[in-house]
Amino acid sequence: MSEVLITATASITGLGPDLDTTWRRLLAGETAVRPIRRFDAGRYPARNASWIEGLEPRGNRSLLYPLLERLLDGFVPLPPGCRLLTATTKGCIDTFERVRKGFPGAVDDIPVSGPLAWLASRLGLDDPGVNVNSACASSTMAVARAAAMIESGRADAVLVVCMDLVSEFILSGFSSLQALDPAGCRPFDRNRNGLSIGEGGAALLMMSAEKARGKGIRGIGSVVGWGAANDATHVTAPARDGCGLIQAVRRAMAKASIGPDDISAINAHGTGTVYNDAMEVTAFESVFGSRRIPLNSLKGAIGHTMGAAGGIEVAVGVRSLADRTLPPTAGFGEPMERCGFPVSPLPQPIGGRYLLSTNSGFGGINAALILKGDPE
Amino acid sequence: MTSGPIPPVAREDVFPEPNLRFGRLPQYSRVGLAAVAFALRDAGMEQWKTKRFAGLVASTRAGCLATDIEYYNTVLPEGDGPPSPNLFSSTLPTCFMGEAAIQFGLTGPTLIVNDPADDGLGGVRMALGSLSWGECGTMLAGHIDLPAGPAIPGIRPRWTGGLFMVLENARDSIANGYGTLDLSDGGAVLHNGIGVAGLNELVRACLAFPRPS
Repeated sequence: MSEVLITATASITGLGPDLDTTWRRLLAGETAVRPIRRFDAGRYPARNASWIEGLEPRGNRSLLYPLLERLLDGFVPLPPGCRLLTATTKGCIDTFERVRKGFPGAVDDIPVSGPLAWLASRLGLDDPGVNVNSACASSTMAVARAAAMIESGRADAVLVVCMDLVSEFILSGFSSLQALDPAGCRPFDRNRNGLSIGEGGAALLMMSAEKARGKGIRGIGSVVGWGAANDATHVTAPARDGCGLIQAVRRAMAKASIGPDDISAINAHGTGTVYNDAMEVTAFESVFGSRRIPLNSLKGAIGHTMGAAGGIEVAVGVRSLADRTLPPTAGFGEPMERCGFPVSPLPQPIGGRYLLSTNSGFGGINAALILKGDPE
Repeated sequence: MTSGPIPPVAREDVFPEPNLRFGRLPQYSRVGLAAVAFALRDAGMEQWKTKRFAGLVASTRAGCLATDIEYYNTVLPEGDGPPSPNLFSSTLPTCFMGEAAIQFGLTGPTLIVNDPADDGLGGVRMALGSLSWGECGTMLAGHIDLPAGPAIPGIRPRWTGGLFMVLENARDSIANGYGTLDLSDGGAVLHNGIGVAGLNELVRACLAFPRPS
């Protein structure tokens, strides 16, 4: 069994075009959730999102491509034979919207095979790649698949690229479900009232520790555990008892051969909806009992980036472990009822080496990763 | 099997008893849920009392694009009313798997893969990986696709319809199955040690496998 290192990370979010900027602004407690200017959101009660400034389409192509160009600009060279996994829920959804509105658009971009082929070509990879769609846990699942491929010896290196865009399609949908907070997302807050959508991307290069060391490449973190489970309860709402998330977290800890006492911090899904956040607290209390582990959510700062969420959270999670600091939960003010876990609008210190990162999504999906810092 | 467009799937085609959810589902979700139901029925696993840690994975090219079109028609200014929350709830290609998980008590990993290999075997490959890694003891694996139709011309999946098969680790299986699947080092799907080039070939090989009467 091979140890799975993360050897390079990159991210682009509403807070910044690179991980350093996003990290700095996260620590300052800033939010990128602001009025949408990309399309007319005037008909919806919630008109805010975390969007990336200055993305310009080229011709009739999707904004996903300039997003990916920025994400991959300056990324480390990929090792020969590197495999490609992507994670997106709606891919070039803006192209779909253009075509349906009667404007010209690159129809071949609409199936995910479009951006997948673009990425493989842009990166010079022999592997055409595979996209993983697991709703809002897509990137978490993709990272888990990549880790399993490396651990089992089926791959020496896997690049995971996560991406999703802000679109009227998504805004209108969550608006129709009355799941958006017009005041902006407030994870784990007593007055939370829904999510804010966001866009972004992450790139994570994962390698077998043996191969990386052989090439003189140093890891910046590692993926030591992963687990996934469906709560089989409701298509759009989480199970109140958190059964799926509990199972996913326990499986991840078993995979990592660690127990609840080893987890030092939790980066939760924390969408800011009433039911998601309550479900997560219920699940974490079931797993961790009376332990009061620092907990945060990035979604008040960068919105819910859908298929990109878990990937961005891994990039930030690795940085959190390296800096021994859990970023603030932007939007958080007053603790929600029955939540004993420390959530803060300020940075919180991390005392150990293991960070739990979780995501949940439509269709009852739950996924958990355990990241370990300081692998060398 | 006959060729041609996939006919509308009615509840009576799948479930003999009334089903609270089925009638509200778009065609993509109905096709997917029906395929999962038929696979479980064939394997003698449709009935259940306690939830089971079985996973669901399928490959697709167009995913739920037909549902996306239907939903977005309610968003466009010429739509009849407000955007439909019911349709939006089905605009992820995994949503029918959530329906199947609820219907049949399946609690394993749930995912869709978009695989440019276009051989319809991406889901089977992913499931074989899960089984070999010990992530799951049982996986429902297959493929699902529907054409986008005239609303977005030019997107014509090679395989249309839904097909699932129940895969179990051979060492744990007590079922009289359709043969043994494996993955070659290069990622080829093998049926009883012989490579299969696509979904149809795999189905033919399974159906030709001698089963005890």
